[in-house]
Amino acid sequence: MNKLKLNYTSLSFLPILVCIPLGYQLINNIHFGGFKLFQEFLISAFNPKIDNEIIITVIKRLNETILIGFFSWLVSIIFGAIFGIISSNIFYKIFNIPNFFYRIIRFFLTIIRSIHEVVWGIILMQIYGINFSIGIIAICIPYIAVNSKVFAEQLETIDYKSFESINQINAPKFSSLLTLIWNPIIKTFKNFGLYRLECSIRSTVILGLFGIGGIGSSIFLSFQTLNFRELWTYLWSLAILIILPGLILKKIKFNTTNKILSIFFIAVFFITILFSFSYFLYFIFNNNFENFNSVSSLFKSSSDLGLFDFLKLILETIILSLLSTGIAISLPPLVIGIFNNNSSKIFIKIFAFLLRLIPTPVILLTLLTFNNPSLSLAALTLGLHNAGITSKLLFTNIDSQDKRNYIAMKSLGISKKTSWLLGLFSQQAKSYLAYCAYRSDIIIRETAIVGIIGSIGLGWQLRESLSSFAWQEVTIVLIAYSSIAIVGELINGKIKNSLT
Amino acid sequence: MNNTVLELENISYKYKNDLILNKINLKINSGEKIALLGKSGSGKTTLISVLNGTIKPTQGEVKLFNESFKELDRRQKSKITTIWQDLRLIEDLSAEQNVNCGLLAENNFYFAFKNLLNISSFKKAHKYMKLCRLHNSIYDKKIRKLSGGQKQRVAIARSLIQESNILLADEPFNNLDPKLITTIKNLLLENVDKNNTKKSPKTALVALHRLDLLNDFDKVIGIRDGKIFFNIKRNNLKKIHLEKIY
Repeated sequence: MNKLKLNYTSLSFLPILVCIPLGYQLINNIHFGGFKLFQEFLISAFNPKIDNEIIITVIKRLNETILIGFFSWLVSIIFGAIFGIISSNIFYKIFNIPNFFYRIIRFFLTIIRSIHEVVWGIILMQIYGINFSIGIIAICIPYIAVNSKVFAEQLETIDYKSFESINQINAPKFSSLLTLIWNPIIKTFKNFGLYRLECSIRSTVILGLFGIGGIGSSIFLSFQTLNFRELWTYLWSLAILIILPGLILKKIKFNTTNKILSIFFIAVFFITILFSFSYFLYFIFNNNFENFNSVSSLFKSSSDLGLFDFLKLILETIILSLLSTGIAISLPPLVIGIFNNNSSKIFIKIFAFLLRLIPTPVILLTLLTFNNPSLSLAALTLGLHNAGITSKLLFTNIDSQDKRNYIAMKSLGISKKTSWLLGLFSQQAKSYLAYCAYRSDIIIRETAIVGIIGSIGLGWQLRESLSSFAWQEVTIVLIAYSSIAIVGELINGKIKNSLT
Repeated sequence: MNNTVLELENISYKYKNDLILNKINLKINSGEKIALLGKSGSGKTTLISVLNGTIKPTQGEVKLFNESFKELDRRQKSKITTIWQDLRLIEDLSAEQNVNCGLLAENNFYFAFKNLLNISSFKKAHKYMKLCRLHNSIYDKKIRKLSGGQKQRVAIARSLIQESNILLADEPFNNLDPKLITTIKNLLLENVDKNNTKKSPKTALVALHRLDLLNDFDKVIGIRDGKIFFNIKRNNLKKIHLEKIY
């Protein structure tokens, strides 16, 4: 008998096996009481509420969302670039600084980004109370660290020989650094800027669900009052907000050699830095630590969290991450492969867009209308939301791919599905898996959100501990979260390196 | 009078377990035009990298104008310019921006900034690009869009714009057609002939493969397995010398 040999294509489908235990638990947990509500939720998508009152609310809420999203994006992308530079190899080579500092900064940034913005938001809310600035700060903290990783990775692509050449000219160190990093930094701004803005807006919406403000708060309120028509008005307006910047920016062509534009960007860069520092100082000196008495309370407060319970929560979080990742990896190629015709494609694209658009807590709450809370339901929610994102990437890559192999296979009489699998997907499988490795880092962090809503894992424990101001427990949970995310990032980094 | 500009004293360089350069002693005097011969892998590129300070030797000392290389500041080190075999241009910058990079050593941070924004003066860069027979239609083209020969000449122009005392070139005539080889060779060596003064001594060391280009050089150094086999006047070069190194 031949030995089973796994390739990138089969590895992309294998994780779908997680659906077996997941499906079993979901079927067992089904209840029919909420089907009517679910039906109402779906129908309302085609009949959103439109009147003067709601339009005014939408505009007001969108304004708040744009403000929080835009400022957190601007600050996080600029400081992300700065931290990206000081956490890249090239900086240490030029200034002859020992690599020890490079490792410390990278480790510090890994810890910062391992904690989701919602967690930062909830912690800051507990300390400072609900405040508009909390939203911006909560997003900026992990996003600066995430963006710094993106920038640092781009800077690592600088050819070492270019560095040697510039170094040999014996130019001043800052001139050498600027000359070498300029283009990779501009390229990263161009390629990732818009995507990061979209991420900032999504995060603002999610933070809104937890009370920060903006359209997220309205979405949550309308869901709580089961006002689905109103809910869909907010969701569709959010869709417009997410799509619009992309459409506008497609029309504008940025030219880095345009002097006025370059000077404008440089001015924005320095003003943002100055503004951020002064605002940070203002924030520190104008807020009192109402609920956070002192750091010493970390050691005084007692913890009721038993070791066994704690380990169970960690295990739940890991299983939740694995199940969600399995769905996010395998569901898109499976569905696209099976329903491989033009009309189905449009339907899948719309469905994937909705999965990306609707915040995970809302998806989870919707599914809870006909299913009991469970680990599987939380995993399904997180998996579906992320499948919406991975399917977008898969569609983009396959649509822009050379189709000659696919056409040749079809002309040989091979079925459409097999031709798609071998002629199109097989060429994308490796890069798709590499992206999924990166995506699973995000999934680990997002377990906090579904955990808080769905009573699962460390996310739920964090909310409980924060509600009772048990700072010691909060610290323990955060350390556990960070450790899982850091180990996950290390493993995914190895997988990604072996795939690229 | 001691007119030595660059000196290697007992230089050895080890990479992992391989001895790439083995106890090399060499003196380069002002006004000399030296051809460095040797087959691929003989240590020519490593020798050039030691001479320009990119590689720190495992043993021995490099002296520039009789001072230890380690003790020199940035401005003193910039008296050496190198044309690399693999060119080492910045692919995302335009040809003129790359040539202007040669001026980074004598200018401040603001110049580097202006160069990247394309608002610095390219007058000097254009002068040297013209000397290297580069057509003005390629001045603002990104390096990655140029042909091999054009890239080669951009690298040469970047090196010449530095107006350094010592020119080190590692096979600079690759990718060039025969007519251009003569032009570029004359350009590199004329600088030594015309501009060598007591106050500003000039010298050139060029690693070569083609023996028909030796005519304009006054000294030939032969290297094999990291050792200098001969260091003689070009007129004294005989077949037996070449047999030793090839």
